[in-house]
Amino acid sequence: MVTLTFPLSRIEGHAQVVIEVEGGKVLSARFQATEVRGFQHFVQGVPAEQMPVIVPRICGVCSTAHHLASVNALENAYGVTPPPLAVKIRELLLLGQLIQNQATSLFIFTMPDTLGVKGMFERLKDPDLERVRTSITGQALKVRKAGTHLISVAGGQFIHPVKAVVGGMTSGIAPEEVAVACAELATSLPLACDLFDSYWELLVSLKKRIDTWGDDAPAYYIAATAENQPDYGSNIIRLMDPDGIEGDHFTAHEFRDHLIYEETDYSFAGKTSYRGEVMRANSLARVNLVQRMGTPRADEYLDRFREAFGRPAHELLLYDLARGIELVYALERAMEILAEPLDKDDTAVPHTPRDGEGYGLVEAPRGPLIHHYRIENGLIAKAEFVIPTVHNVMAIERALRVAAERYITPEGVNMELEQAVGRVVRAFDPCIACATH
Amino acid sequence: MQRFAVLQLTGCAGCEVSLLNAEEWVDQHELVYMPLVTSAYSIPEVDLLLVTGSVQTDEDLYKLRRAVRRAKKVVAVGTCAISGGVLNLGDRDEIRELFFAEESRYHLPKLLPRCRPIDTVVSVDQYLPGCPPTPELFMALLFDPPDFKIAQTVCEECDRKKHKKMRPAHLIGFQHGTVLPDICLINQGYLCIGVSTRGGCRALCTRAGQPCVGCRGASNAFIEKGSKKWFATIQRIFSKMTDIPAHEIEAALRSPQLSLFLSQFSDYASKEPQPRLKAKVL
Repeated sequence: MVTLTFPLSRIEGHAQVVIEVEGGKVLSARFQATEVRGFQHFVQGVPAEQMPVIVPRICGVCSTAHHLASVNALENAYGVTPPPLAVKIRELLLLGQLIQNQATSLFIFTMPDTLGVKGMFERLKDPDLERVRTSITGQALKVRKAGTHLISVAGGQFIHPVKAVVGGMTSGIAPEEVAVACAELATSLPLACDLFDSYWELLVSLKKRIDTWGDDAPAYYIAATAENQPDYGSNIIRLMDPDGIEGDHFTAHEFRDHLIYEETDYSFAGKTSYRGEVMRANSLARVNLVQRMGTPRADEYLDRFREAFGRPAHELLLYDLARGIELVYALERAMEILAEPLDKDDTAVPHTPRDGEGYGLVEAPRGPLIHHYRIENGLIAKAEFVIPTVHNVMAIERALRVAAERYITPEGVNMELEQAVGRVVRAFDPCIACATH
Repeated sequence: MQRFAVLQLTGCAGCEVSLLNAEEWVDQHELVYMPLVTSAYSIPEVDLLLVTGSVQTDEDLYKLRRAVRRAKKVVAVGTCAISGGVLNLGDRDEIRELFFAEESRYHLPKLLPRCRPIDTVVSVDQYLPGCPPTPELFMALLFDPPDFKIAQTVCEECDRKKHKKMRPAHLIGFQHGTVLPDICLINQGYLCIGVSTRGGCRALCTRAGQPCVGCRGASNAFIEKGSKKWFATIQRIFSKMTDIPAHEIEAALRSPQLSLFLSQFSDYASKEPQPRLKAKVL
């Protein structure tokens, strides 16, 4: 037996892919998360009210989602409903994070695969390619920054934000800050569309070269978003079956009745299934599950996408196109919200902490994220983090196997496999720090 | 042109994300290794090595020892690299057993008995504290502008005004919901330690209504002294400005949210209580 190990890069965190082969036959393809910290263990005994500051440290890429999931869980435990203004500002936070994340994933993590370079910061000898690289990188960082700035404005700072508190937000957003954020989003929108158009073209040429969009079987799709148009603060998790029929839906505290979680002995991350079936979360799931994006430019892209690939779309590389649609949506939607007054005083309601259980759900860029706390004597007695990347692990491994079988034959291993492994994993944009927490 | 690398050990990647927002370096420095954004599997010779995250596994240890040999200058970036960070909450004895329960997993890096700051393994030339350090601080690190000066404390950079007559009798916790604008958080009864926390962050948290938890560590006045000195000063400030009983402050300072950050330059999680030199801290 031969074991092929592929270290991974251009994803968040430490992971590798291990493929076992015998006589040209693929025996297994595994996705191994190789880091662990143990948040669920060491937050035991932490005062519950400190969680929204401590748990964002699970991940610097996804800190906004953890900050909000944590506050939601405490509000659920204390029986508090935040005022509408706070809900709006929290939506801005999630949109800011979506802009930051999708721009980074598309134009920093996967763009190099379409250009055939190691990374967007690598200086190239070919002057033409170098011009393309510097122009894309510069624009990508600008678009990304519009997202991070939006998080700062709404959340105080863009990594480990602080402004969401139990009962609401510490303050609204002043008109002069709104004006700056709006101007940045407005300049970023055409940049993002240009980048996305080039990305789409490059991806089509990549598809021609490798002769596949990622030929894995259809799967279930899971997302916490509204039916008609995206709502990342939705409290319902919804599923779509492989034929595109809308099926099961459930709230955060019912997740155990629908999702099966198992540990693995070869990875620090476990995996979840939908009652034993492979499911997929992240951009493609949301774009499949939602009727319309509800903003003009994003809907144009959605129409083009559905015309070309149908609904549900299943091919792996389409995850990236779905990311582009969401990037455009998030920029447009954030500007809509910023057009409303956000500096009124009623940003928070009073509350009384109490013991009990709480579930907090948000649709993070990578899919539905649940924080579940049991509080005793004001301290965390048990904490559980249900992580979107973990929902994708079975789908990643199945797709890796398909890729391995494509490039490994009795004659030998086609070295394109290394690129294919990277493309498969990056399509899902996994976050290992979150998955292992 | 300076060549630099970023080695991420066990951490959250927040420091890397912050570095990406300091994008002015893109044209002027060459980033040759940073797995988050580039597919290079080993570190070439570099002028500058930024290390983030803490030494949690045998693999972290190996990667760190190998990397520093290729670097002219090594910088510990962020709370995890400097002190172990949030992971030190996990070094409590009852938790450690749970860690070891997971050790049986095969082909995976082994967890070390204790999560360690990087300077207990290799020698470090400079420290950049913050959780994470702001993009502006990364720029200062990479470009070292001669006129760059860091504010002594977070308090100096915060716009909130202190009021002599507002003297709270008790701490009101960390998640109270209502924060009055423009008024010092201590006057409102919050445990804000920005008065003696190292500046340079532009007081992002306190301006947003979140009390300073001290992620930049002690100001220069306390770095080379034990945290006891620092804690005593915090107590003195509270007794001057409030009527909050000392034991309430003491308990809150030792609560996880703050203890994460407060011991990062001295009394940290190892047996060597040698404090870091303030001259090395940005």
